[in-house]
Amino acid sequence: MFESKNEVVLKTDVLIIGGGSAGTMAALAARKKGLEVILVDKANINRSGCGAAGNDHFMAVLESGPDWDTPEAFLAWYKRLTQGLVDSKVVEKVFTSRIKGLVEYLENIGIQMRIDTKNNDFIRTKSFAQPGEYFINFDGRSLKPIVSKEAEEAGVKCVRQVYITDLIKQEERVIGAVGFNIRNGDSYIFEAPAVILATGNVSRMYRNPSGLPFNAWHSPYNNGSAQAMAYKAGADLKNMEFVNYTLTPKNFSASALNAIVGMGGYIVNSLGERYVLKYHEQGEQGPRWTMPWGTYWELKEGRGPCYFDVRHLSDEAIEHLLTHLLPVDKNTFMDYCNQKGLDLKKDLLEIQICEGQLPAFVGSVTGIHIDENCLTTVPGLYAAGGCAVSICNLAGSMAVGGAAGESAADEILRDRIEVKLDQEKIAELKARAFEPLKRANELEESRFEGKLHQIMADYVGIGRTKLGLETGLEELKKLNDLTSILGATDGHVLMRVHEAQDMLLLAELITKGALTREESRFGLSHYRGDYPDTNPEWHVSLHQSLKDGVPMMKKVAAYK
Amino acid sequence: MENPVKIDLGLCNQCGLCEFNCPGDLIYSDEAGNPYLKYPEECWFCGACRMDCPKNCIEIVFPMEVL
Ligand SMILES: Cc1cc2nc3c(=O)[nH]c(=O)nc-3n(C[C@H](O)[C@H](O)[C@H](O)COP(=O)(O)OP(=O)(O)OC[C@H]3O[C@@H](n4cnc5c(N)ncnc54)[C@H](O)[C@@H]3O)c2cc1C
Repeated sequence: MFESKNEVVLKTDVLIIGGGSAGTMAALAARKKGLEVILVDKANINRSGCGAAGNDHFMAVLESGPDWDTPEAFLAWYKRLTQGLVDSKVVEKVFTSRIKGLVEYLENIGIQMRIDTKNNDFIRTKSFAQPGEYFINFDGRSLKPIVSKEAEEAGVKCVRQVYITDLIKQEERVIGAVGFNIRNGDSYIFEAPAVILATGNVSRMYRNPSGLPFNAWHSPYNNGSAQAMAYKAGADLKNMEFVNYTLTPKNFSASALNAIVGMGGYIVNSLGERYVLKYHEQGEQGPRWTMPWGTYWELKEGRGPCYFDVRHLSDEAIEHLLTHLLPVDKNTFMDYCNQKGLDLKKDLLEIQICEGQLPAFVGSVTGIHIDENCLTTVPGLYAAGGCAVSICNLAGSMAVGGAAGESAADEILRDRIEVKLDQEKIAELKARAFEPLKRANELEESRFEGKLHQIMADYVGIGRTKLGLETGLEELKKLNDLTSILGATDGHVLMRVHEAQDMLLLAELITKGALTREESRFGLSHYRGDYPDTNPEWHVSLHQSLKDGVPMMKKVAAYK
Repeated sequence: MENPVKIDLGLCNQCGLCEFNCPGDLIYSDEAGNPYLKYPEECWFCGACRMDCPKNCIEIVFPMEVL
């Protein structure tokens, strides 16, 4: 029988939760400052999270000469992309001031950044309304294992297969976390004066167009633990209402869009029209949200299916796309094409609007609010990567991870912080972690999740109204009541049950945010049929937090 | 759902890397030490299981829902 067995208590200077792109860099950075560091992940770190099987674009400002390749031009673009809802001061501190150094570091540890081997040079492309070619096309297939090895060799203690359920607080400060080993049932108590959250995006909340909930754009194994734990600890979450969509190949979870539009690919409807131009003057070169937005209306108005079209590209460009980009980004991309009988040199690639999620992508304005030191609004609690609002695609997450690790280490080195665990509180958190094993196991986790997908897609999805969102909230409340019969019999399902509970909490925050924001912004991300226009009065961020058990919501002005 | 992760057990050396690398905790070893996909419906089709396979004995076969 799976049950709570041994208790493992580990003390460290800095604890990092989530060993993905951001977490691993945070661990390395804190360790380089001479501190004891633990990196804990529910998976195995070497291949986990969104970068598990490789990424192909590494966004960087290299100051190579042209005006666009400067921190100033980058920051101006990023501000336009995020409509001023992300603090440029944070982006400057955690990204533009670090990124050149990060590229050099990755080259030094053996990541192939220069895939133009003939000239030993970078190949760079642009997309999403960038003023220049910020995306280095690189070979990220071995990035995860190599960086993980670096961390372990530097002396980071990696704790694998441990799912974190809760943060531990001592008065106002976060001082550790509680979790369990998903394979053997050992409970884990971590004690640390500084904790960095890095568990990535929130996937699996919405109905998947293929009918397979794990066939998701970004990692389906990231479910908002960081955002949920931060919220419960009292931290501010920002702009939760903006749910994001992208265009993916029909029924297949590959994030191919950046590669396709970066190489000059077209997006066409069934009449052969490049329709994105109707919705944004830059067409396929516009911000990401314009593409699912345009596709939505094309499908609605009867001009679907829609397609990626790369047939006009030169042989050399197609070769690059099919060798260095698509199958590097999604390892199984060519298997999909082959098994579907598709030849992209001759055939159109049918696309879909993917399931909604809070993804870890460039331009996201949603997640845990952090300052220039990557500190949340709760002392001792830092956040980085896709779970936090700053800059959170691959390069962004790695850079901000490093910045968070350094900031947390600096605080620990500066102020000696005494940490003492309250055993009563620990017992309570441990009981919560294992509680689903004791519940009547009457409702399968997959059915519970299926209901969540239904509610979110129907009432909090694309196209929202006051009445629909209110219905959504009521339905979520009913679903919440069913957690009492949502049981687990082994560690794997216990993990899924905790994921489901976190997703449910975040679903509620998304719905409340969407109900409050009486305007529309960022295309499908938040389209209120009853307030269809973007309203300058709503040019603000919405912060949600829990203060003494009471949910709070406040408007925070956009950054100048 | 049919199993999308086809492991050729004739070639597999039971090194355990596919189980170790799966980001979703989906691959387990049976009593004989052979890896198998325990939760096919939770597969992301990411390919992480096969990337470092020393025997190159894993194939991803998409279910009809994807194709
Ligand atoms: C297929 C694909 C291709 C992509 N390509 C690109 C690209 O080319 N360029 C680009 O810029 N971006 C790309 N992205 C996005 C990029 O990978 C992410 O932005 C980035 O990896 C986010 O880093 P992160 O550290 O926040 O999250 P992740 O790297 O996903 O790491 C999160 C980690 O947290 C762990 N975790 C989650 N919950 C818990 C818990 N409760 N307890 C313990 N551990 C937990 C997970 O196991 C995981 O290891 C791509 C994404 C995908 C999915």
